[in-house]
Amino acid sequence: MATQHSRAAARTMISPAVILLLGWMLIPLGLTIYFSFLRYNLLMPGANPFVGFENYAYFFTDPAFWPAVINTLLLVGGVLLITIVGGVLLALLLDQPIWGRGIVRILVIAPFFVMPTVSALVWKNMFFHPVNGLFGQLAKGLGFEPFDFLAQAPLASIILIVSWQWLPFATLILLTALQSLDSEQLEAAEMDGAGALSRFRHIALPHLARAITVVILIQTIFLLSVFAEILVTTNGGPGNASTNLTYLIYAQSLLQFDVGLGSAGGVFAILLANIVAFFLMRMIGKNLDL
Amino acid sequence: MGRIVLKDVAKSFGDVHVIPPLNLEIEDGEFVVFVGPSGCGKSTLLRLIAGLEDVSGGVIEIDGEDATGMPPAKRRLAMVFQSYALYPHMTVRKNIAFPLKMAGMDKAEQARRIENAAKVLNLTDYLDRRPGQLSGGQRQRVAIGRAIVREPAAFLFDEPLSNLDAALRVGMRLEISELHERLETTMIYVTHDQVEAMTMADKIVVLQAGRIEQVGSPLELYHTPRNRFVAGFIGSPKMNILEGAEAEKRGGHAIGIRPEHIAPSATTGTWKGVVGVSEHLGSDTFFHVHMDGRREPLTVRAGGEVSLHHGDAIFLTPDEEKIHRFDHEGLRIA
Ligand SMILES: Nc1ncnc2c1ncn2[C@@H]1O[C@H](COP(=O)(O)OP(=O)(O)OP(=O)(O)O)[C@@H](O)[C@H]1O
Ligand SMILES: [Mg+2]
Repeated sequence: MATQHSRAAARTMISPAVILLLGWMLIPLGLTIYFSFLRYNLLMPGANPFVGFENYAYFFTDPAFWPAVINTLLLVGGVLLITIVGGVLLALLLDQPIWGRGIVRILVIAPFFVMPTVSALVWKNMFFHPVNGLFGQLAKGLGFEPFDFLAQAPLASIILIVSWQWLPFATLILLTALQSLDSEQLEAAEMDGAGALSRFRHIALPHLARAITVVILIQTIFLLSVFAEILVTTNGGPGNASTNLTYLIYAQSLLQFDVGLGSAGGVFAILLANIVAFFLMRMIGKNLDL
Repeated sequence: MGRIVLKDVAKSFGDVHVIPPLNLEIEDGEFVVFVGPSGCGKSTLLRLIAGLEDVSGGVIEIDGEDATGMPPAKRRLAMVFQSYALYPHMTVRKNIAFPLKMAGMDKAEQARRIENAAKVLNLTDYLDRRPGQLSGGQRQRVAIGRAIVREPAAFLFDEPLSNLDAALRVGMRLEISELHERLETTMIYVTHDQVEAMTMADKIVVLQAGRIEQVGSPLELYHTPRNRFVAGFIGSPKMNILEGAEAEKRGGHAIGIRPEHIAPSATTGTWKGVVGVSEHLGSDTFFHVHMDGRREPLTVRAGGEVSLHHGDAIFLTPDEEKIHRFDHEGLRIA
């Protein structure tokens, strides 16, 4: 692209793609922000007057708001904790030359291919259901009162379902990282007198640090917007016990037909995601410059 | 203390017998070098001694104690790996401290030993760097430092210099030899570099396909190789081997003569040939001489200033005293 002419030509050539991408991002974002400043309820057609921050004020003072924020953070944190601890353990197991390793690997990866709605339904009806579910049957068989997971521990149940879906992803990434660990390093540590636990703690875990940060980053992005699992299992209830921000926005804009309020929630969700991303990036930045 | 005795030690991976039963004694304080062609089992033998592989048979004794079933950490041996195997996320200081920390040594003693090792190995300025920020030679020294702080009964080196460039190799070679002089600890050193073997060893063990071909001092191996394999393996350039009439005349199935024991001349000599490639190294010149009835050229060493060129006739006179004779099996005839 040496000459002015070719530069101009190049700019013309890439402009459709740039404009399309910009439009794709900016129009929905702009509309959301615009709607968030209007009184815009589909049940009250007519004028949509500009109301400033009224929608935001309503959204933040909604009794469901703080529970939703806390639920969102609990959901993200809980799933991250389970998937990373479980993922490291599974990766260690799958790295061993055990019998039938190939089949076990496929089994471990399988949940990732199941759609969220499907897996949530499977868990709801086949495992958690107090009458028909496996856990209920088991409890009854052992002579206990069946535990109604989705009613009595709704958020924990959803964390369990989502963890089950994301465990394969974490395992896969951590397994590849583990396999790239130089075996001579482990042997050197063995000669240096490190037992299996010390080798894990001092050699394998630091080696996995980078992969763990990548898992945290990617999963957090997706976990902030968990929705289908809640919709098909608890509908955010009982009460607000399993309502996260995504579900709250859905409930306000689509169940209450209040586009303005939902938009305000959407804008808040964008801000929250960016704050989380900011901290994650700092964490990764620290971890990547080994 | 570090007397290591291998009794009928064997190793096979499944059906592959890498090391047939083998006996070897390594005295306390000795510098022993394992040499042999690639894939002959040098690393495997070292790893058996270290305890990183289980033996398929036989007994390994360290200081008179049966160590065959002992885990590596209990054998009081330290190993320096070819890839250095430093811990990348730890500083040099932490790398060196790692074996001490694992042994639960108190902090003051740790610091004292690290300071000592760093001084000996010229690492004092690098203690707070990570391995990634060091040169190859420095990394090698860290790996050695990590080995010496433990004050092991013996050191095991697996081709420690093969990743370094030629100049650095010479330097590190001297440093390791000096370290051996100072520590007087047993060292077992694997290499396939001739020069390393000849210059460093008290005792060389020549291996081929897992078997020990000969054990002896460097000069013993040079002067009286037990068979054709050792004769060809020790010495550089390789010994010339002749079969047929010339060999029978001297009472052997084959004879061997080293390039440095043949006198070249432009006018008279026992054998006649034609100069092929000549390699001028300044101090020496090596002629590759083509002779009738031989497919391989004969290598001959001459002084630096011999004016013979490609295609010239050349006469060669072997030093009859220095000719090695071998029988049909390739064994030396005394
Ligand atoms: N884990 C293993 N499984 C099967 N065969 C092996 C294994 N490790 C080594 N071998 C075989 O054992 C033989 C000796 O290997 P070893 O690594 O000891 O050779 P080496 O003498 O160190 O060679 P080099 O000089 O190239 O390092 C080789 O033929 C190799 O293929
Ligand atoms: Mg080797």
